[in-house]
Amino acid sequence: MIWHYLIRRLFLLSFVFFALTCFAFSLGHLFPGDPLVNFSGISQPDDELLPVLVQQYRLDDGYLQQYIAFLQRILQGDWGLSLASQQPVLFELTQVFPATLELVAYALLISFVLGVPLGLLAAIKASHWSGRVISTIALLGYSLPIFWWALLMIMLFSIGLGWFPTSGRISVLYEIPSVTGFMLPDILLSGQTYWQAAFQDAIRHLWLPAFVLATYPTTVMIRFTRDAMLNVWQQSYIKTARAKGLSRSQVLYRHGLRNAMLPVMRQLGLQFSTLVTLAMISELIFSWPGIGLWLLDSISQRNYPAIQGGLLVISSLVILVNILMDVLHTLFNPLARKQANG
Amino acid sequence: MLLLDIRNLTLELETSQGLIRAVDRVSLSLREGEIRGLVGESGSGKSLIAKAIVGVLNQRWRIKADRFHWCGVDLLQLPYDQQRKIIGRDIAMIYQEPSKCLDPTALIAEQLHESIPNQLLKGGWWNRTREKRKKAIALLHKVGIKEHQSVLESYPYQLSEGVCQKVMIAMAIAKNPKLLIADEPTTALEASTQAQLFRLISSLNQLKGMSVLLISNELDSIARYTHRLSVLYCGQLVESGETAKLLAQPFHPYTNALIKSVPEFQPELVPKSQLYALPGSIPTLQHLPVGCRLGPRCPNARKECVHTPALERKQHHFYSCHFPLQYKESE
Repeated sequence: MIWHYLIRRLFLLSFVFFALTCFAFSLGHLFPGDPLVNFSGISQPDDELLPVLVQQYRLDDGYLQQYIAFLQRILQGDWGLSLASQQPVLFELTQVFPATLELVAYALLISFVLGVPLGLLAAIKASHWSGRVISTIALLGYSLPIFWWALLMIMLFSIGLGWFPTSGRISVLYEIPSVTGFMLPDILLSGQTYWQAAFQDAIRHLWLPAFVLATYPTTVMIRFTRDAMLNVWQQSYIKTARAKGLSRSQVLYRHGLRNAMLPVMRQLGLQFSTLVTLAMISELIFSWPGIGLWLLDSISQRNYPAIQGGLLVISSLVILVNILMDVLHTLFNPLARKQANG
Repeated sequence: MLLLDIRNLTLELETSQGLIRAVDRVSLSLREGEIRGLVGESGSGKSLIAKAIVGVLNQRWRIKADRFHWCGVDLLQLPYDQQRKIIGRDIAMIYQEPSKCLDPTALIAEQLHESIPNQLLKGGWWNRTREKRKKAIALLHKVGIKEHQSVLESYPYQLSEGVCQKVMIAMAIAKNPKLLIADEPTTALEASTQAQLFRLISSLNQLKGMSVLLISNELDSIARYTHRLSVLYCGQLVESGETAKLLAQPFHPYTNALIKSVPEFQPELVPKSQLYALPGSIPTLQHLPVGCRLGPRCPNARKECVHTPALERKQHHFYSCHFPLQYKESE
């Protein structure tokens, strides 16, 4: 039963990827300039290389053959060269992508740790002043433009108080070899004598961007948790559980939380694309060497192979997370399972 | 001994149109081991009274009562925690739509387990789960579910309403309550399952001495199973007494109308004749008449009816009417 559903999701996934690669492929032709340059990233191919590339990219054949060749190159890991640095796009992506993932992961972690309890509190004390204060703050945080908020935070904590650095992932003092691409595990794995100092420095660099980026998902989380909990608290099965003689916290933990978290989880998947967009903005402001900053640079440099690659990676991430959340939601919710089968 | 003794229970709701008195000075007393029926049309306040007893009434309601005794203890005087503790221990309740009263994301086994209080288990905490499982199976057998394995491992949406209601009853009797409140337990069920459930409830009453407060809007379906009946109209207690006597000789015009509207109670009814019914319909809560709330619809209403009649007693038979029916003949 559940396998049918998973296979259907996989079908959906493959169709979305098909559309995505079609779009990425068409960009090579739609961008101004020579499609050969747009695909390969070699700006002035010499006379020896030119026929080889045309042969390899099948530019003399129809679009279908070109698309198939494009797919093969993508799967083989040949994503072309960056026009700006003449390095392979895929290599550059592996350098910047983990930094973004790290930032987003910490922001999400903060939003979970803060958002869910605060949302629950706001729901339970809905008419109490504390509940109102939380709701108001959540609305405020939800509507703050992130670039302005980030600048305010920099002015206050970096320039005013001098607690946190304004930019970068780690001070240039420390030499950390990249193993996983994630800074904190890398420091632990580095085995350097100064790893403790480096770790602290990395945390100090991480604080401000993660906090600023977490503002949006945290407020979203508070609002959705509150609404879902208020809704669940009206249901008959909560009254039944109360009448069973369970205490308020038992009812909340055993029946309230699970039912309330299901819609929140689904919303989180839908909000992930917004989160990635916001991550790109905060990367730019905090000079965080992630995929957002890299992509924005590529756009301003008209670096078409890089734009193509970045687009593929970011869209795939958003789609994957969306479908993953959907699958998780179905796994945890028996009712959705019934609808998925029926 | 009186299990439940309520005098002049009044439930009021504050709205933008002013204070609405949904339940007006209702008295209800229940003896140990009896099945009491609570009958009234929808909106007559039956469910409100039940919720007030169990203490799950919304916070907007104001509860007042001259006496609200449970086993001799006045519940309204107790602090909230103790009130919950006593009610949680002694009173269980089942509701109208059983499938909505079960947590949709939890297995039946989980929900049954948590309704078994730890005090009832003998062993230590290490084999509590096994003991609870055994107990849960026994409970399911008690309510007439034979396929305990498949039911325990189901989610509520996979079961029919009838089975859900049986599971609800199993959860309710898990703590050996002194009182079971059944709030229209059979409205969502088919006819054959309805009879099954009523038989189940009355057998629980006979075997375990559990008192039952059976709430329904159908007089005929519960008359067979109840020892005593209370009839409500628009939040006022109209008449109460032993079921057989009340059905044979109602004193209140509303009870009379209720009985006459059911063909089963009148064997000599001519075929195709019109059934007796009171004129008009029940007033909305915002426009309740003063005095006896049946007043505008009552065939015997007179000037005095603008004052609420006091509850009068004739042996075990209570009624609140200025001009009771058959009074003269019975005198």
